[in-house]
Amino acid sequence: MKPLILVIEDDPQIRRFLRATLAAEDYQFHEAVIASEGIAQAAARQPDLVLLDLGLPDRDGLDIIREIRSWSQMPIVVLSARGQEKDKIAALDLGADDYVAKPFAVGELLARIRAALRRAAPLAPDPADPIVRFGNVQADFEKRLITVGGQEVHLTPNEYKLLQVLIKHAGRVVTQRQLLNEVWGPQHTEQSQYLRVYVAQLRRKLEQDPARPRYLQTEPGVGYRLSFDR
Amino acid sequence: MASHAEPTPADETSVELAEAEPDARALPASWREFALAVLIVALATLAALLLRPYLAATNLAMVYLLGVVAVATRCSRSASVMASFLSVAAFDFFCVPPYLTFQVSEYEYLITFAGMLAVALVISAQTSRIRAQAASAVDRESRTKALYRLSRRLAAQTRVFDAALAASEVAEQVFGSHVTIFLPEDGRISFRKRTSNQLLISTAEEEIAQAVFDHGRKAGKGMERFPDAAATYIPLKGVSRIVGVMAILPRPNGETLKPDQHHLLDLFANQTALAIERTLSQNAADEARMQMETEEMRSSLLSAVSHDLRTPLASITGAATTLRSQSDKLPPTVRDELLESISDEALRLSRLVGNLLDMTRLESGVELRRDLYPLEEIVGSALQRLEPQLAGREMSLSLPEDLPLVNVDDVLLGQVLVNLIENATKYSPPASPIEIAAEATPSAVELEVRDRGQGFAPGEEKRLFEKFYRGKSDGVRGAGLGLAICRAIVTAHRGTIEALHRPGGGAIFRIRLPLDARP
Repeated sequence: MKPLILVIEDDPQIRRFLRATLAAEDYQFHEAVIASEGIAQAAARQPDLVLLDLGLPDRDGLDIIREIRSWSQMPIVVLSARGQEKDKIAALDLGADDYVAKPFAVGELLARIRAALRRAAPLAPDPADPIVRFGNVQADFEKRLITVGGQEVHLTPNEYKLLQVLIKHAGRVVTQRQLLNEVWGPQHTEQSQYLRVYVAQLRRKLEQDPARPRYLQTEPGVGYRLSFDR
Repeated sequence: MASHAEPTPADETSVELAEAEPDARALPASWREFALAVLIVALATLAALLLRPYLAATNLAMVYLLGVVAVATRCSRSASVMASFLSVAAFDFFCVPPYLTFQVSEYEYLITFAGMLAVALVISAQTSRIRAQAASAVDRESRTKALYRLSRRLAAQTRVFDAALAASEVAEQVFGSHVTIFLPEDGRISFRKRTSNQLLISTAEEEIAQAVFDHGRKAGKGMERFPDAAATYIPLKGVSRIVGVMAILPRPNGETLKPDQHHLLDLFANQTALAIERTLSQNAADEARMQMETEEMRSSLLSAVSHDLRTPLASITGAATTLRSQSDKLPPTVRDELLESISDEALRLSRLVGNLLDMTRLESGVELRRDLYPLEEIVGSALQRLEPQLAGREMSLSLPEDLPLVNVDDVLLGQVLVNLIENATKYSPPASPIEIAAEATPSAVELEVRDRGQGFAPGEEKRLFEKFYRGKSDGVRGAGLGLAICRAIVTAHRGTIEALHRPGGGAIFRIRLPLDARP
């Protein structure tokens, strides 16, 4: 079955280009122009993913996320303008899965859609292979063994937990608040500088060039993304 | 904080005024002064009785005159006049035979009485006049001091509200009463726009203040109009208009102002009004100048930008229409090229619009969202953003592991790096390396972006950072905003940015971020 994507976007040109792209990638496509229609369609059609423009004419896009999240966990990917980190974080904190900043390249959009769809329908973990690989990094969470290029790397418990959380959300942006909450607990969500120090250490241990990370990427002003297709 | 700036002069002034009041000229003598006068005459009588066996009666009169002098220097004129008469009577009764009667044995004594009374009265009159002069000199001096203090405080203010606040504070100290200045909002006096934190006056009196503001005449307590009001309202009359209303409440002990204090209050109101008027016109002038500068900026922005916006739009339109009308005649390689130019030019347009938005945002005063970041992370995400432009370019990074965290807005500092690295790629040959190096000094972190391009002309070091200024190298397109944005962001972080000639050819852009701003 082709996944069904609901696009809520008021600009006809962008809808047209999305229609062409998504059709070419073998997705089904439905569109809504205004917020009220979008919410109704989301409820009626139960799409596999919602692609939501934050700047709709009739209602704040954040409202739509809140409303959809009140009854469904369907993946939501937000289309936002550059330089609006506050909106991005607000959207993610309300439960959006990811965002793509306009103007965006198609490749980036498709990667975000794939990652978000994967979150909703995780591949059944293969009991025979609990190992995650990206680049020359290999993480075996059953044996708690991390290797880089075949060499074992020692991670502190917090680094290990951080890597686990990032892998769980692989391909999707995770806000600093989310990471702090999942790794250190809800009472530490304001201490983002510790998080940055841990991320820097993790990069030194896993990345070939920690200043030009290939996998553990920064989303400035928002959070981090472990970028690989699982 | 403001109140402890100059506490002593304030206290001095109010103390002096308070002392000057009881012995001011026109005060009615209190019963205390009359009692003192009687006491002094009684003492003179006692002295005269003791001296009576040894001195002639006429000389005893001198003792009484001495008493009158003592009274005159201490008490009001009416008390000393009373003492004069009392002295003559006591002299007659106790010192002129027959004693203890008002009868006079020799009529010569009548001349003594007359002379004594005349001298006593003259002494009373002269002494109190001298005293009054001294008192008014003290008054004048403290008034001058108060006005001087007021004008000094007012001169330092550049905002209307601050001027009004300073004036009401000084007035409160000088007059010892609660003083509030009300400022108009859209031509109406509002009790909400006032200098005091608390409103000690009923809002029902807003009408009175409005009438004072409209007609420019005092009203309220002690005035002809609205005498039942709790406060006295004085218009703040500038040269061309009324700029506000000053309200003064009676002192906490119920005393009202004396006439000479009313005069001082008028002077206060006058000075305050002039200062507020001056501030108002200063603000208006500033606003006009800013408006002009904004206009100028806007027009130069429009002329610079319209060209930069049109060029990529022309390429996009051209390529797109070609593809549409001649698609079947074009060889695949040409079609690919046209498609590539559409996406490249669109990206360029997007960067330009982004820069313009950034500049506008920065100029309207952006709020930094600072936190502690590893510089490595900010450099890393800048490089990630530039991935397509950096393809195949040799990058050399030198970021020591022990660099301290920097307290910055990561998105904005990231933008600085993106602009600097992008500049380096534009102004240097594709095969030449770009270096990024950071170093910590005890007080700052320094970050350099170095290229091996043709550099910039000597003398351009400062101009490079100006808006819409483009370096002299040919063949490079840009709106001349990138470095201006860098400077605006770095300056907002209280850092510095400079362009240096690189030994061996090329340019170095050095950012210096002070560490002292760390939390």
